[in-house]
Amino acid sequence: MKILAIIQLTFRESFAKKTFIAFFGISTLTCLLFIFALNLDIVNGMQSSISLFGQEAQGLVELDRILFGIESAVAVLLFTGGLFMSLFATSGLIPSFLQTGNVELLISKPMSRWHILTGRFLGGVAIVAFNVFYLVIFSWLILSIKTGIWNWGFLFSGVMIVITFAILYALMTFLGIITRSGAFSLMITYLILFFSPLLLQRNQIYALLSGKFYAYLLDGLYHFLPKTSELGNITRLLVQGESVASWTPLWTSFFFGILMFGLSTYIFSRKNF
Amino acid sequence: MAAITTENLTKYYSKGAIRALEDLTLQVEPGVIFSLLGPNGAGKTTLLKLLLGICHPTRGNAKLFDQDIRDYHSHTKLGYLAENHRFPEFLNANQVLYYYGKMGGVSSNILNERIPQLLKLVKLDNWGKTKTRKYSKGMLQRLGIAQALINDPELLFLDEPTDGIDPVGRREIRDLLISLQDRGKTIFLNSHLLSEVERVSDQIAILKEGRLKQKGTVQEFISMKDQFQIRMIDGKESIEAECARLNIGLSSQNGAYFVSVNDDQHLNQLIDALRNRKVTIQAIIPHKITLEDFFIKVIEEKEEKKS
Repeated sequence: MKILAIIQLTFRESFAKKTFIAFFGISTLTCLLFIFALNLDIVNGMQSSISLFGQEAQGLVELDRILFGIESAVAVLLFTGGLFMSLFATSGLIPSFLQTGNVELLISKPMSRWHILTGRFLGGVAIVAFNVFYLVIFSWLILSIKTGIWNWGFLFSGVMIVITFAILYALMTFLGIITRSGAFSLMITYLILFFSPLLLQRNQIYALLSGKFYAYLLDGLYHFLPKTSELGNITRLLVQGESVASWTPLWTSFFFGILMFGLSTYIFSRKNF
Repeated sequence: MAAITTENLTKYYSKGAIRALEDLTLQVEPGVIFSLLGPNGAGKTTLLKLLLGICHPTRGNAKLFDQDIRDYHSHTKLGYLAENHRFPEFLNANQVLYYYGKMGGVSSNILNERIPQLLKLVKLDNWGKTKTRKYSKGMLQRLGIAQALINDPELLFLDEPTDGIDPVGRREIRDLLISLQDRGKTIFLNSHLLSEVERVSDQIAILKEGRLKQKGTVQEFISMKDQFQIRMIDGKESIEAECARLNIGLSSQNGAYFVSVNDDQHLNQLIDALRNRKVTIQAIIPHKITLEDFFIKVIEEKEEKKS
């Protein structure tokens, strides 16, 4: 399959740039930490002692609370640090494939431009999905075996992180197609990633603003841009086995991602190289 | 069915401020080596890019083997060597050919068979496992040619194929092009090296400022009708006298005599007259100019007309 060749090539590029290896190394270290450094002593479904690197915590704590706590920490770490790293690691993939001398060769192949860009996009998402699921599944297995509690919600956190990445990567693809600059795409995407919690608190910001225009602007931005802060919250709720009150942030963010990718393919298809 | 057909193919940039190609109508028959010539900015690369779908025409149509260039399926039968192509530096030659072959729709089984053959053909068989970042310009160019051939194309677009290649390598590429033509492939060549073009091409087209100025066979352009070079021993006075008598144009350059006759009979009259004067004729050669001379003439002619 032609598109598969582009995905494999993207994988190789990431591998060659060492970002993939760095990501994989950090994931492996985290898993090894759970295997060797975390010791749980379980008596009748309760944890009687817990130690990390030999340091013992005191008191009797419910085991599922400890498990949810650890898994939540991993998920939140992945959602913040993992996304931050993933965006950084993949920011050069679109501009590098648009380089003169490379893009012409790809377009000359019997593939539609839509296929070429989709292959590149999926390649970027696949790299991150591989690393995220490697860490999530591996640590889920270790923690579940050690505690005997199989928290399926933790696996869904992996899905949420990959979806969130795909949405932000669609934006980065759009910016990359327009500007051909990895640094610029990354800066704008980071801005939106970190702007999300502020937009969530827009009701408090309104009080500080003089005109109605700014309120409308913030409202518009909130509804249009991906709601990464709320997606992070959904991820945490999934890990902790709590019910999610509203999936709207997911659907609206997903729509934003589709819009960005649709625009990217449209522009890429019409572009002269 | 023609290999390439263009009909009023036009490309403007910057909302018409730059007219890269203007109403180009062209046909390239299958099995020929067709070369595109022109000064820088003549529209050669634009034409190549339009045919390959790398940029979109402003107006007009073009077909590759009867398939519209806007349809990417028309790329199935073609191979392309881009000028200043850039392969991912983290790949070795085997991997480059594998991935680009896969993108070209070639199956893994065929690729496993074809990759070593192509590397041998371009003399990179000992470099298959070396990363391309360690390759010289000439080696990258050879790899580019192998890449263009990976899907066994019917139509080959080569943009400056001998760029960065030494004279021996150039000769090998020339031989390769001729052997590909013998196998029925059509080759569309874009090169600045006019001597190379002259040696391999069947047909040429000259573009200038986005417009087609000349199209025809190489022989047609380089042969000077009814002009001959005569080589002889010590016959200066005789040839001058006989040319004056027979009303034949005469010029000399570096000891060689060039005559302009009306027809073959006219030439034979001169030969008879010289032989009667006991002049020893060594050779009579139809006079040809180089493709470079012809190219410069075409380009300058238009310049003169302009001024």
